Amino acid sequence: MKVLIKGCFLCDPCSGWEGPAEILVKEGKIEAVAPSIEGVDAPVMDIKGCYVFPGLVDMHVHLREPGGESKETVFTGCAAAVAGGFASVACMPNTSPPLDRKETMLYVQQRAASAGLARVYPIGALTKELRGLEPAPLWELAREGARGFSDDGRPVKDGGVLYKIMQWASLLGLPVISHCEELSLSAGGAVHAGPCGYRMGLPVIPSCSEAVIVARELLLNREVKGKLHLAHISCKESVELLGWARERGIDFTAEVTPHHLLLTEEAVESFNTDAKMNPPLRSPEDRDSLLQALRDGLINIIATDHAPHTSWEKEKDFLNAPFGVVGLETALPLLWTELVEKKLLSPLELAGLMSLNPAKALGVPGGTLAPGSPADLVVVDANRESEVAPEKFFSRGRNTPFKGWKVKGLPVLTMVEGDVKMYEGLVKGFSENFPSPAELFSEAGGS
Amino acid sequence: MFAKDLIDLSSFSLGELESILERAAFYREETGRRTFRVLEGHNITVSFWEHSTRTRLSFELAIKELGGRVVGYYPETASEQKGETMEDTVKTLISLGSSAVVFRHSLPGLFHRLAQKVEVPFISAGEGCYQHPTQTLLDIFTMRQAGFDLQGLKVLMVGDILHSRVARSHMCALPLFGVEVAFAAPPPLLPDGMVPPGATCYRNLEEALPWADVVYLLRVQKERQEQGLVPSLGEYAALFGLNLAGLSRVKSGTCFMHPGPINPGVEISHEALRALENVAPERVLFRKQVKNGLYVRMAVLDLLVGSG
Repeated sequence: MKVLIKGCFLCDPCSGWEGPAEILVKEGKIEAVAPSIEGVDAPVMDIKGCYVFPGLVDMHVHLREPGGESKETVFTGCAAAVAGGFASVACMPNTSPPLDRKETMLYVQQRAASAGLARVYPIGALTKELRGLEPAPLWELAREGARGFSDDGRPVKDGGVLYKIMQWASLLGLPVISHCEELSLSAGGAVHAGPCGYRMGLPVIPSCSEAVIVARELLLNREVKGKLHLAHISCKESVELLGWARERGIDFTAEVTPHHLLLTEEAVESFNTDAKMNPPLRSPEDRDSLLQALRDGLINIIATDHAPHTSWEKEKDFLNAPFGVVGLETALPLLWTELVEKKLLSPLELAGLMSLNPAKALGVPGGTLAPGSPADLVVVDANRESEVAPEKFFSRGRNTPFKGWKVKGLPVLTMVEGDVKMYEGLVKGFSENFPSPAELFSEAGGS
Repeated sequence: MFAKDLIDLSSFSLGELESILERAAFYREETGRRTFRVLEGHNITVSFWEHSTRTRLSFELAIKELGGRVVGYYPETASEQKGETMEDTVKTLISLGSSAVVFRHSLPGLFHRLAQKVEVPFISAGEGCYQHPTQTLLDIFTMRQAGFDLQGLKVLMVGDILHSRVARSHMCALPLFGVEVAFAAPPPLLPDGMVPPGATCYRNLEEALPWADVVYLLRVQKERQEQGLVPSLGEYAALFGLNLAGLSRVKSGTCFMHPGPINPGVEISHEALRALENVAPERVLFRKQVKNGLYVRMAVLDLLVGSG
């Protein structure tokens, strides 16, 4: 099976190629990329000047299955992923039971295979039951498909336990993904320690609760020299520490979420639980520092921390409502609108932050449109306008603080391994009137 | 004219707050002289989920003085809820026929959520660490009654600002009246980030006292010692408790306020309390605050629930 995509404006962060191109896809792989591809007998799709990025890679997603199916399933989460332009997602192990054993690890991958939408890379637990005490069976989890290890949602409290796990993970060549939070400093907190949080009388999560653990992880990895990834960095103090580590050659990768780049603590004003997440939204200076870190390369990955919850959980009072926001279906258009359109990032930079860099951090395919690589790509319509409408999400989670935001840069087609999974907001196997290949590609091939 | 609910003082204009105070002045004059029927035929649900003496009695008495009936529900603790959501509980109470709800609960933000779901006025009688609007109104009323002009008045709030709903309500309303607010508290009870822009935060009570026209003492609970926020209540008292040495530093007309209940020996020493009550009882406004609470709550119920 071959298809020729014409009228592309290519953005390949791996080769740095940015410009008009045609892409020939054959048997799930990119066969050729060139300004013009002649004499090929293949069905054609003309995307009329839209941007083409490598399929996006989100290395921080909560698919909630098993155990949290009222919030999300692997199927609905993968539908949300391809709807948002993501070809690959890494799912966090804080399910019930957690991904700390091969049975759940295999279960999630079976569910992902039967969904047949996005690639799903499970992250294994660092410790048994995510309790931070005994190491999880890292080698076994890796053998069964784990692409990294994390107790995300909580830190490994005991530095000595983590140190040994990091050493073991380094033998396996897999990243340790750290949720940086000193619980004794954040315990019971719900919002940033800033004017809004104090005005609302809510217990606070100070920036130092994150930064002290960022410092600990960096110092540990200075010795271990493994792969360390710092999840959802939220404050300027952490960014300063990343700069310190970079100067000393300590190896790390770090991610920031769209919501920490675009919102500040003011979004929780009047007790909006859809803006309650951990780490919390922080001050304007923190947000500016995160953006600067992204441009300086200290933070090299954007990940959504997609954390779906049911409406009835989010309708509780602020302290009892759970932390988390959804992000898969809003990340690309929001960042396009707020960062690319405002010239804070180039399209090529955004593509790198959302595909190549996370793929490299996880050691998985993706992030390139070079011939021979899997045909994972997303077509982005820079000019089409829309509005964030949670009721239209494929995700079961509707908990977004961006409801009603006007956006551009919509993903209009997501291809995974040469197969169109999303077209114009319809998801294969999910939307009833999803077009057939014959409807997608004209047979008047060649030229 | 008025907002439906009294939850957040920042949603009220100066004019609206003044009209509540004006009505409170009316009730101070007239209560005991005549019978009011403003709430005649009205059931008012009063539900307290935290211990309270003065606020609860004051609201109940206000309802009765206005001719209304109290429908009281006072669970000992929130754990009495037995799985029912708070929204269901409130709707159940209202379905018995209530014209308004007077509520106290420990969860900040709860009332915003509940008030959206019920049609009758929702009146806060203290909401976690968030706000305590009627306390602020009665305090403003009391300051005026003590003869102070609010414009330029210097109010020093001392103690556990971080956990104080009274302090938060004061911060919303006092600046509207032209009152200058300063604070005296240790960092764990008043983090730098909480101090409003432009306000002074003293880290030493002695230094702050000469500045104040009103010294407003806040209760420091034993719990703060258990949480390690103060090494001990004794240590707190040594640095931030009002004692005889402190009294010698205040201006001659300075008045003292406290939302109650007082912890003698913590926020004010036994000796200082006795000295004040013996030597200058007119400058101790604690009892006046309690009494004015009745009139202010009558005014609030009148304007929000009665004909207005």
